[in-house]
Amino acid sequence: MSTTAIETSARSKKASIAPRVKWGRIGSYAILLLFAAIYLAPMLMLISTSVKTLPEFMRDATAPPTSINLNNFVDAWNKANFPRYLTNSLIYTGAATFIYILTAVFVAFPIARGYIRGATALLTLFVIALFLPVALIPQFQLMLNLGLYNSPVGYIVLFLVNPIGVVILVNYVKSIPKELDEAAAMDGCGYFRFVTSIVMPLIRPAIATVAVLHAIGIWNELILPTIYLTNKDFYPITRGMIVFQGVYGSNWPTLAAAVLIMTLPMVILFLFLQRYIVSGLTQGAVKG
Amino acid sequence: MTSYLFGHGRSRWLPYLFLLPGVFFYLLISLGPSLATTVFSFTDATGIAGAPVHFVGLDNYKEFLFMGQGSADNYDALWRTLKFCFFVTTIQFSLGLLLAVLLNQRLKGTALFRTLYFMPAILGVVILGLIWTLFLYPLGGPASRLLGVFGLSSEFLGGPPTEAFAWVIVVQIWANVGITMVIFIAGLQTISAELYEAGRIDGAGSWQIFRNVTWPLLTPSVNTNLLLNIIGSLQAWTLFMVLLGYRNGTQVLGYTIFAQGFGQTSGSVTSAFRQGYAAAASIVLFFLVLVIGLTTQTILRRREARIIG
Repeated sequence: MSTTAIETSARSKKASIAPRVKWGRIGSYAILLLFAAIYLAPMLMLISTSVKTLPEFMRDATAPPTSINLNNFVDAWNKANFPRYLTNSLIYTGAATFIYILTAVFVAFPIARGYIRGATALLTLFVIALFLPVALIPQFQLMLNLGLYNSPVGYIVLFLVNPIGVVILVNYVKSIPKELDEAAAMDGCGYFRFVTSIVMPLIRPAIATVAVLHAIGIWNELILPTIYLTNKDFYPITRGMIVFQGVYGSNWPTLAAAVLIMTLPMVILFLFLQRYIVSGLTQGAVKG
Repeated sequence: MTSYLFGHGRSRWLPYLFLLPGVFFYLLISLGPSLATTVFSFTDATGIAGAPVHFVGLDNYKEFLFMGQGSADNYDALWRTLKFCFFVTTIQFSLGLLLAVLLNQRLKGTALFRTLYFMPAILGVVILGLIWTLFLYPLGGPASRLLGVFGLSSEFLGGPPTEAFAWVIVVQIWANVGITMVIFIAGLQTISAELYEAGRIDGAGSWQIFRNVTWPLLTPSVNTNLLLNIIGSLQAWTLFMVLLGYRNGTQVLGYTIFAQGFGQTSGSVTSAFRQGYAAAASIVLFFLVLVIGLTTQTILRRREARIIG
């Protein structure tokens, strides 16, 4: 944006408006920094608590730690059954995202191309679920009667749906020239091979966006494991964390260390994938 | 007819075949159950496998809306859901817009601020719940210290219901304002810099430029954010679960549905697996979302037509 250039040239001509421009800038920074503090404070509190001892925390919860005590992390890792819960979460998230993406591309591609009758109607059908009543109750009855209650497979099946993802993929496929299909079909390339080995690499940015959004949703899900998984061995990290909180609820230093262990991978991943997440949210929002 | 071949000829059924799994899962897991909620709302279904299910007509609705203390609690929850929606939408919308406008200037460090404000959106309710329960620790936690500076005190999440409820609103906004912000930023970036320049050359001040250039041209993001915030906050309830639990005087409709359908106990409130009743509650919430959503959309459409036409 060239507002700065304008401001600079205006300032050189008319010195009188310079102070106002500067005040605007200072005011902007003041507000931004205030919000930065509001966002950093809870996170700093978490980090500070995680390196304190319990007596230190009890004496003064807010004071900065006097020494760095990493025992809490060892404790949390051992007591919270983290390796098991993290493995479960990774399996659920990985398997469901992989299968979902594969099935979703095969839904989105023919819709975008009009290779099937009623393509528009089908897309509308996918979008409509966002506004319909909560599916929780009948879904539970269904899973119960299919024998998929308290089963990892059943739990994964619950995450094979994401209408917004289909919408994002459809929009992206539309930007790929149709001549490509003709050329491939002419050369005798099969449909499955064409979609998996030519279309999918071409729509990789959209796939990345949808996969990241979908995976975050599964990773963070708390309600579905609460409803569907009763066996502790099947718990994902979210449910495991709630159980851990139930047992160590008053031992905040250990609890804070556990929360950090759970948060850190998310934050690191977020810093790398932010672009995809933001584009997914803004696209999904505009179309949804 | 065009000359592409995948939708035609000998193998034109292939796109249909490969489409099936995705559509099947969607119907099975999402659309089917969603529609079947209506059917279940007329039954006395429980969450127990093999238990007999009877058709009970409108009994669930009658009980939900007209019977004794239960329905009084439901009206409370309904009213609270509306309050939650109002406060979350207005505050989140305004703050999101403010932050987006500030970050859309040519200032140093905007990427860093944007990342920071947006990050909680990916953390999920479990982490959010724990981070804020710790921050609002009543015995000398940071929030309680800060209030102490002003001579105030609060028991935060453990305090009176209205106060605890207000803190959930705060956390909900803290966690989601980043999403509203990035949608506004995406909208702001579509506005051509030349329009701002033209405004400045005509001698318009910052406020006039915002009022007459930015605000009208931002209409698509304004509509998106308003609808997303309204619908989202009417349906949101999981933060209540992680921050407060099923506590009298704090429940919203979404939480009532879950508690009735899947059992939640808290103090004097005990609920069984009453899935027929919970389905009826889901339908009530659905109509609430439908009426408010459609009204908002009609108003927004009219406004858009007025601005463009």
